[in-house]
Parts: sequence; structure tokens; C-alpha cells
Amino acid sequence: MTTKNVLPRIAKGKKPIYLDERASDNLMAMVLTLTQELSVLRDRLDTLEQLIEKNGLFTQEDIENFQPQQDSQNIRSEKRSSLLDRVLLPIQKELESD
Amino acid sequence: MQLKPSHDEAARQDFVYDLREFLTDKVYSRITPYYRTRVVPGFEKVHGRKPADKKEVRDVMLADQGYQSWSLLQRLSQQMMFTSVIDTVERTLPDLVEQSKKNLTLGSLRLDETVEIPKYLTAYDIHQQPGGYHSEHTEDDLAAGAIYDATLPIYSRGAMGHENDLLAQTIVKYVNEYIADLRPKKILDLGCAIGNSTLPLARIFPEAEVFGIDVAAPCLRYAHARANALGVNVSFSQQNAEKTRFLDHSFDLIVSCLLLHETSHSAVPNIIRECSRILRPGGWMVHLDVYQFNQETLTPLEDFLRDWEVFNNNENFSGALREMDLQGIFERAGFAEDTIRFTTAQADVEHTEGYEGDYYFHLPVYVAQKELVQ
Repeated sequence: MTTKNVLPRIAKGKKPIYLDERASDNLMAMVLTLTQELSVLRDRLDTLEQLIEKNGLFTQEDIENFQPQQDSQNIRSEKRSSLLDRVLLPIQKELESD
Repeated sequence: MQLKPSHDEAARQDFVYDLREFLTDKVYSRITPYYRTRVVPGFEKVHGRKPADKKEVRDVMLADQGYQSWSLLQRLSQQMMFTSVIDTVERTLPDLVEQSKKNLTLGSLRLDETVEIPKYLTAYDIHQQPGGYHSEHTEDDLAAGAIYDATLPIYSRGAMGHENDLLAQTIVKYVNEYIADLRPKKILDLGCAIGNSTLPLARIFPEAEVFGIDVAAPCLRYAHARANALGVNVSFSQQNAEKTRFLDHSFDLIVSCLLLHETSHSAVPNIIRECSRILRPGGWMVHLDVYQFNQETLTPLEDFLRDWEVFNNNENFSGALREMDLQGIFERAGFAEDTIRFTTAQADVEHTEGYEGDYYFHLPVYVAQKELVQ
């Protein structure tokens, strides 16, 4: 975990099984969350592309040739880790001890 | 008290909003025709007849992958709704707490640490809101209230209206039509949570003193700050609707919005008796809640689908409430038999199609007048 959560993310209560087994339910949850993250990314790219176009800041070629600095690589790594936290939440739920 | 989601948090919340729209319009809408053409014939082959009640529908539907896929997606969308909003609330919580203590010039907030949170709120998290309405995670916590406020428009897909005030607006509209000359001087909202149904009462009856009670401190802190931000005068206090500190005959009108179905078998008669005690003779109570079982004719499929929240969204008691003898409970508590009504109030709502759409359009109300002579 890269961040310490203050607020709970998992609700207390019954955990019914929907498809043939809980693993399938969890897969569905992960697919849906991945779709959500893809949608977030697309929204962000759209924002970026619109701003780029509006300001004439740089070209597609600049993006292709871009090399991130170490700091920015670290930040990306943290973000990937929190993406995994989010996508794999169903498994964390599955492994809850109470 | 507006939440300020980051770019990506807002995108996540937008996705859930659209996902719920999609599930309603493109998945849930198929269930009734799917049931008729794909599920019923299989049942008929075995039994020589159609499923006769919701239990039989439940048996076939729980074994059906089409239904279960919708049901699972609907449940997941609820969980994702909370997760996407909690991210923003958690990140901005110190600011929200700070902001909530500023410029509190209107109304009042009285918290009481001795108020116990009833088991029906601690045994499971209603609607799958993680931590429920009452849990506290930081000093002067109001996260539960902020989460509730920001998820209502996503949950109802905008049907709850401006400032999430649809329910109270509907109650007042109904009261004005049914109880024509009611000019309440003192009004109480039971289980007020963030006050989204309390504030409209104070706005519509500016001459009335308006009170809101709830057991959940984080919701009340948020309610008080929100009321001040919106310029409305309400007295909020931490009390249990089953046994309040109000004096006998205090109120002209008592309302509750979606409270009773989140309580229990023993709490409902307690709350109704308490309403009777603190209403003045001739005063009215209006509870906006789930459909009463006896008041409607549903097909077995509709009857089954109406229980979805019971089994899948931690509304554990709402099914049982539908089958309770509320008429008897109201009468025994001292409400005039000929004034008791279980009916629906028509709401001014634009977005009503699909899952729960009909619910928002025709909101069930339980109405009664306290007997004039005690």
C-alpha cells in the first residue's frame, strides 16, 4: 500500500454469491473497475489533447520522444501501485479476516 | 460544503453515474421481457403453471445467470459509487472539517455522546456505505455525511433534485393538498441525516421552528454546516427517534424520510408511540418510506424485484416493514383510525424511467393525525 486509508472502503453486511462462485464475481468487479479506470484515462487524455490544441504547446512527436525524469518515474510507479490497490480491492475484500 | 473532486476523481464519479444509467436503461429494462420469454417457459415445463409468488420467482431467478449478472453489476455499481466518492472525501477531509466550523450563525447543533447507536445501524452498513452513517475516523468527523450527500445524486441519477430535496418537497406538496389548513409552528424531522429533507421544511414554513434529530454525529455535523452554508435555520440534535428528549405535545408536524425501513421490528412501534407522545392532539405525522405490501397489487416478478435492496444492498428490514401491520400500530399508538392513510404522493421529478423510476415518481407515504381527545 502506498497510502494509508483513513476511511473504510468495505461495507459490513451479507456477501451474496451471484455467478457460479465468488471468484467469478470478483473477476467481474475487477473488469468493471478496469473499465472505470480506462474511462478516467480517456477523460484525462481528452482534457490534455484539448488543452494542447488550444495552446499550441507541443506536437504528437514530442510525446513519442518524451523520456520521463527519475522523479516522475517514481510518481508513475506510485500511481500504478494505487491503481492495483483499486483494481484488486475485491481480492482484499475476499481476504478480510472478520 | 461542495466536494471538490480532482480531475480523475470526478471522472471516476462520472463513470459510475453513467454505469448506473447504462444498467438501468440497457440491462434492467430487459429483465421483465427476459423473464417472460426465457425464464417462465422453463418453470412452466416443470410445474405446468407460471411462478405464483415472489418466493417462486426468487428460486428461478437466483438460478438464472442473466438475472444474476444484472444483480451483481447493480451491487458493484453501488460499491464503486461509494469508493469513488470516498476518495474525494478522504483527501479533502481536513478542509471539510475546518470549513464546517466556520460561520455557524444559524440554528444549532447539540451532540450527545450518551446516545447509543442502535444495532440495526451497526450490524451491517445500510446501502453498503462503508462505515455506515455513524462511524467516526477523525476528530469532529463529518465524512459519513459528506459521502451521503455526494452519493445521493449518483444513486438516484439526479432524481433527488436540487439540494437532494425531492422527498421533503413531495411531503409538503402532499400535506398541502391533503391537510389543507396545516400551518405548523413546530416541525420535527426524524432520522434527518444530513438535513436534506429538513431544510426544505424550514424554507417552506418560514414561520415554523424546525428540528432535525439523528443518532449519527458525523451526519449531524455535516447537516449543521450545510444548513449554514445554505442559509437555513434548523436545530439539529443527536437523539434516537425511539425515545427523544422532547416534551409531550411539542410538535404540530412530524415527518421522516426513508427512516422506518432502516430500523427494526421493535423500533417501528417505539417510533410511532414516540410520535404520538410528542405530537400535540390534532397534530400530524407523515412518514415517507417503502411501499406497503397491502396497498398494492404487484405481479410476482414486481414483488420479487422490489425486494432487491433487501438481499443485495443491506436494506435488511425493508422487506419486513412492507409486511408489518402499520395500521394496527398507528391505531394503538393513539392515531385517529379514519385519518390513517397508506398512499403515494406524486413527486415533481423529471428523471423517472427504469429501475426505481416509478418509485421516485410515486413516493409512498404513511399519514396519520393524532387523536384530538386523549
